[in-house]
Amino acid sequence: MPPHSLTFEAIGTHWQIDTAEPLPAALVTALNTRIDRFDRDWSRFRADSLVARISAEPGRWTLPDDAGLLFELYRALYEATDGAVSPLIGRSLEHLGYDQAYSLRPAGRGIPAPHWSDAIAWDGTHLTTLRPVTLDIGAAGKGYLVDIVSGMLRSAGFRDHVIDASGDLRHRGAGSIRVALEHPLDPTKAIGVVTLAGRALCASASNRRAWGDGLHHILDATTGQPTRSVIATWVVADDALIADGLATALFFRDADRFREFDFEHARLFADGRVEFSPGLTEEVFV
Amino acid sequence: MTRVPHTVAALAGLSLIGTLAGCSGPNQGASDAEPTQDYTDGEYSATGAYVSPNGEETIDVEVTLADNIVTDLVVTSHPTNPNTKMFQGQFVDGIAGQVVGKNIDELDVSKVAGSSLTSGGFNDAIEQIKADAAA
Repeated sequence: MPPHSLTFEAIGTHWQIDTAEPLPAALVTALNTRIDRFDRDWSRFRADSLVARISAEPGRWTLPDDAGLLFELYRALYEATDGAVSPLIGRSLEHLGYDQAYSLRPAGRGIPAPHWSDAIAWDGTHLTTLRPVTLDIGAAGKGYLVDIVSGMLRSAGFRDHVIDASGDLRHRGAGSIRVALEHPLDPTKAIGVVTLAGRALCASASNRRAWGDGLHHILDATTGQPTRSVIATWVVADDALIADGLATALFFRDADRFREFDFEHARLFADGRVEFSPGLTEEVFV
Repeated sequence: MTRVPHTVAALAGLSLIGTLAGCSGPNQGASDAEPTQDYTDGEYSATGAYVSPNGEETIDVEVTLADNIVTDLVVTSHPTNPNTKMFQGQFVDGIAGQVVGKNIDELDVSKVAGSSLTSGGFNDAIEQIKADAAA
């Protein structure tokens, strides 16, 4: 794809959008506005976000239109992982120091997230919180935003594009791209190469946002403790919401738990083993 | 191989792991130390047991020696307790670096899928903590 790249920082990470033709200024402005709205709705790291308001007191909250797909995925992952993946993990993360101020100082051992049915009810538009809950959509939110941006590009006539949001990639349109699967312990090395055509590839690694004594940001919601046996995952699926969510869920359960989804994956385990699903790639360097 | 007491085997395993994990290649690291005696080439294995706060736990260590150099190392843990599983996971993390990869520079790829570029705020906080710790 010819090299017109738009790069920017958003939701705390680096983004790059590659298109055949440069994006017009009005579209760039619209993208920025949309991304900022997503951040103001969903960020756990801003005091003025909807998530911050929800965390203050129980109540009945009207969620933005984009909440539907997100909660649908979260509910499916919550069921498939026996509660290990949950949007109610925010307070557990804060407890270990992954809080608004990035204090990164744990207040003690992990605390589990509340059970879904004990804490919230979701009717497709409204979220009723029965107690103060801190939502955290870190498992799938960035991938979802990649899909939203991709949809806007497509609507504006940019059917062929690649969006790279540092770990969450989406290729759309003609052709394909070759993507290295970065070794989580050595960013100069790849453990394989995937050819991506019209799909999304999301990567997740537990050691990248790690602090303190073995603490990192991928917590089992049933214990509030960082997960240990898997240290990195990659998932290819039709959209980045699904790929991102599954990349997190595969830290907690094996792939056969997620048969309702169409995906390919790889996992790197703490003991050095690597697992590739048969359809992911033929280029594996192990 | 000579069967050594369990605790000694576990300690030997730990020191070997330190050597391997701390350098760019197994051979380079092992040759740094002057061998004080010759070892017979071959594959060795031992099971190390230790008593953790959660009860007795074991790890299997398999080592391949050639010319006094460790050329291969496999550690298998058998955690029986969830807490031990957690701590052994931390310990075994160092071994995962032994997974073979290829240099990304040598690959014909246009993108890299990983999360080496993490959030700015997070990285800033880590740097701050390092600075605090050094002060």
